[in-house]
Amino acid sequence: MVRVLVLAAGSARGLEAQDVATRLEGRVPTSVAHAVQAIAQDAAARGLPVELLIQKALEGGAKGVPADRVIAAVRVVATQLDEARGALREAGIQAPSPQAVEGGAYALNAGLNAHQIRDLGRVSQPPYDPALTLRVAATLTALGVPAQRGLHLMTRMMHAGRPANELRDLPIEVQVGMARGATAAEAAEALDIGEDAQGQQGHQGHEGQQGEQDQPRPRKP
Amino acid sequence: MTKTYHQLVKNLLDGELALADLPPELRAEGEEALRLAGAVDRTPVALSPALDARVMATVRRHAEAPARRAWRWLAAPRQIELRLRVRPAVLAGALAAAAALVLLVSRPQAPIGAPPDVMFVRFVLHAPGAKRVTVAGTFNQWDQNAAPLVPAGTGGVWTTTLALPVGQHQYAFIVDGRRWIADPAAPAVNDGFGRRNSVVAVTTQGARTL
Repeated sequence: MVRVLVLAAGSARGLEAQDVATRLEGRVPTSVAHAVQAIAQDAAARGLPVELLIQKALEGGAKGVPADRVIAAVRVVATQLDEARGALREAGIQAPSPQAVEGGAYALNAGLNAHQIRDLGRVSQPPYDPALTLRVAATLTALGVPAQRGLHLMTRMMHAGRPANELRDLPIEVQVGMARGATAAEAAEALDIGEDAQGQQGHQGHEGQQGEQDQPRPRKP
Repeated sequence: MTKTYHQLVKNLLDGELALADLPPELRAEGEEALRLAGAVDRTPVALSPALDARVMATVRRHAEAPARRAWRWLAAPRQIELRLRVRPAVLAGALAAAAALVLLVSRPQAPIGAPPDVMFVRFVLHAPGAKRVTVAGTFNQWDQNAAPLVPAGTGGVWTTTLALPVGQHQYAFIVDGRRWIADPAAPAVNDGFGRRNSVVAVTTQGARTL
């Protein structure tokens, strides 16, 4: 039985390598294709998703980037995938999905650090999907929201049990604030203040002011 | 100089916002975008009267065809009565075979070749003076020839609408085959090569900036 499993795993790795070679053929120099194939094989053997590695190589080839820089960039992505998975495991997610690992790598690329990914992974308990929360945090950072500010806002929303689609729309809310003249940080801070006001209102409602539960929520900026 | 529509104006074009939802300073831009989109997407199609006559003649010919009449006769519902005399053992066997067939047919099949969820996403770039504009990204394997934009009018606005699979995508515009530029209206991340890639997330509810 073990032998069958080992053979199956070996076969899967072989297919993966073939797939990488096929997809890179004619799109990058041969030296890049060989190097990326080796990096992808190594990543696949460690259970990491390889799609981002292939995409980075294709991107480098399309942009006419010198071979050594393409290979270096692919290595960086492999390291980010590894680091993201490690952070998610530290957060208690023993087998993070490929999407979550890729979301973590994207977050690292956007400017979050491994500790922040671990912290976000910890609070992203069901029904929240870490693949989504990591992408949202990364995009907020890409928009210019300081990473810690974005994490604070998201954590607060998850603790308040906000629907996942409200988290997903956070970058749009920030962009709306920016369109009105605020910086990304100011827009996120305003959302955080709004969240605080809603939290306090909810708290007062729990203390027996039943009628207030029907009051409209404060409008987000 | 390169300028694209503001993200909120893109949301307006995608039907996610109304013109009145835009901040006052963006309304003129929004009106211009709607006007251009209307010119590009909704130009009335004038049909020739001869086409109408040809279509109706074909419809009449099909309606009168003998094969069609025969099929209608065969397909029309009728009441029939069947009186079966079967042995219980044979009936049980037949029922078991039917049940097995139903189970076999109703077993969930792997969606081989089924297209993943896709959404239509509009890309717009203001690039006056450009001779050719394309968009490349993770959704087309960074093939800079796969998705050309077309000029919308004469104001230097280039646009295209692509069917993208649900998921997160990075992309950039290529102007005149050599200049890679990020979408100024979208968030961007380091591409690892000293430039920036724009980011769009396609969900079943539409394109999002995440």
